[in-house]
Amino acid sequence: MNSRGYRKSRWFNATGFLCLTLLSGVHAQAGTLVVTVKQRDQKPLVGAVVTLETPSMPPAAPISALMDQVSLTFVPDVLVVPVHSKVQFPNSDAISHQVYSFSPARKFQLPLYRGKPYPPVVFDQPGVVTLGCNIHDNMLAYIVITSAPFFGRTGTEGDWTVAHVPAGQYSLRVWHPLLNERPELLRTIQVGPDRETIELRLDRDLRPAPLKGRPHSWEY
Amino acid sequence: MGILNRTRWLWLGAWIAAAPAWATDWELALDLRAVSSDGRESFLDNGQGKLRYDEDHEGIQLGRFRASLDQPLGEVFSAHVEASTWDDDDKNPIDLTEAFLEYRPYPRAGFRSRVRLGAFYPPLSLENRALGWETPYTITPSAISSWIGEEIRTIGLEGQVDWLGTRLGHDFDLQLTAAVFGWNDPAGTMIAAHGFAFHDRQTTLFGRVGAPQPDLTKPKKELFHEIDNRAGYYVGAQARYLDRAVLNVLHYDNRADPTARAPEIRDLAWETKFDAVALRVETGNGWTAILQALTGETYINPGVWLEWEFESQSALVAKRVGAHMLAVRYDEFEVLFRDNPLLPNSEDGNAWAAAYSYDAGEHWRFALEWLRVESNVPTRVVELGEPAFAAESKVELSARYTLSGSF
Repeated sequence: MNSRGYRKSRWFNATGFLCLTLLSGVHAQAGTLVVTVKQRDQKPLVGAVVTLETPSMPPAAPISALMDQVSLTFVPDVLVVPVHSKVQFPNSDAISHQVYSFSPARKFQLPLYRGKPYPPVVFDQPGVVTLGCNIHDNMLAYIVITSAPFFGRTGTEGDWTVAHVPAGQYSLRVWHPLLNERPELLRTIQVGPDRETIELRLDRDLRPAPLKGRPHSWEY
Repeated sequence: MGILNRTRWLWLGAWIAAAPAWATDWELALDLRAVSSDGRESFLDNGQGKLRYDEDHEGIQLGRFRASLDQPLGEVFSAHVEASTWDDDDKNPIDLTEAFLEYRPYPRAGFRSRVRLGAFYPPLSLENRALGWETPYTITPSAISSWIGEEIRTIGLEGQVDWLGTRLGHDFDLQLTAAVFGWNDPAGTMIAAHGFAFHDRQTTLFGRVGAPQPDLTKPKKELFHEIDNRAGYYVGAQARYLDRAVLNVLHYDNRADPTARAPEIRDLAWETKFDAVALRVETGNGWTAILQALTGETYINPGVWLEWEFESQSALVAKRVGAHMLAVRYDEFEVLFRDNPLLPNSEDGNAWAAAYSYDAGEHWRFALEWLRVESNVPTRVVELGEPAFAAESKVELSARYTLSGSF
């Protein structure tokens, strides 16, 4: 149950990429871009959201994704979806949750529930939505809604690879819940016909990660 | 119309599917102890010993049997009830420690309010963070938390406002608390009678502290009575840095009229006020530090003005590795009886505690604790003919089995 939601959303992301990849195949010149994000101490930044945007391309097609709740934790901790995507919020725990967001990009609340009682929530505006549970204050997760045609999360080496990117100028943006960069991590890059590698290094240390392993019965 | 109907059916379906969300959650916990103690006769048996288990209460003991219910009432209301038995000479075989209604609306624009009505603990202890107001670090809480569990309960209305900064991209959350309460006018009588003690026995709402008081001139040690019809209050604030550090301050005043009397419990109203501050810091590699301090005073006026000052500080360091935890705590405490040098109800002392605990899965928790309290209590000389100084130690093993579910 734990990984199903995550896998499904990844699968949909992958489908999105595939469609775009096929579309972009018509461009004469398309390159492969490898973005690697390193922390200040050179350790890879794992799980960072990377978006690649250009005014000449529409956002990726909307997807249906899952944000599950397992053992008093949102799974995944970060979900990235194109604008107009639908996200379902099942509760796989035996106890009830009450999910809310008061983020400007999408305000909503799902009254106390278990299982999968509600229709999906549609996210029509780009931005970052912070999720919480009104019963369990230490539950925290993020949904990044993007209007970029290309997006993804960095892997265990801090890397994200995207193929068949039409040549041109793009805005490359990196987001992570613990990112401390001022201003935000944003670069204008030129993608050519070949394989290109971009390494970004953070100027500032990450904020401390949420503590893990505390018994759920403890008060926050 | 069709769309409207469909939406209505969809929501009705959603409501029916969501209905089990309003089921009652219950929990039962049985905590058995094996105790070795050289404690003096416990304050729970009207002695001047500082420990819950004295040398006459060694061997297998019932630490606590606890039953709790958690019942959502619609969307944003819920009811919580905590009942316990400690297998001593209390008035009722099982009794309540907390019972309250909670109103917890959805956060709006980064703010959330919360209201509690009933009987519960003020937000004060940063160590008593486990269910049933227990500390997960040791078996026996600090002198401060022991005293709060013994004498203090909010029976009234409490409001809280949270600013959820961490949900808005900041590193901090802030919280303000205010409450009005009654039925806690005897609070202070225990600190004057036996000072601080070290125990996890929380006084029940309709019970008393320890054994019946045979001496008809002494109070019956029932803490939750309204005597003067004057409401007390507290105000508090809490700041959190991510989930790493918490700073909590509280000012408490039961605003009792020290001249008011309650013949039915052979006691009077104790005007008790205190300030408490606590800091808890947790690191990413399993370390926890908790510093707590409390300073206060209590007054009565049975024809003559009597005043006690009391204070305590504690420092705890714990290291958690997986399901294992080691904790060490040091406490200092002092009670100063100011007005009548002939009544030696003053004391001072300190205590060391060391504990190892192991969370063995969902149901079992085991803990082993060593506790040593050194105290200087002149009342022991006057009332019991014993030396004022006592060093009391105990070793206690706790095995707790917890069952939970919903219906």
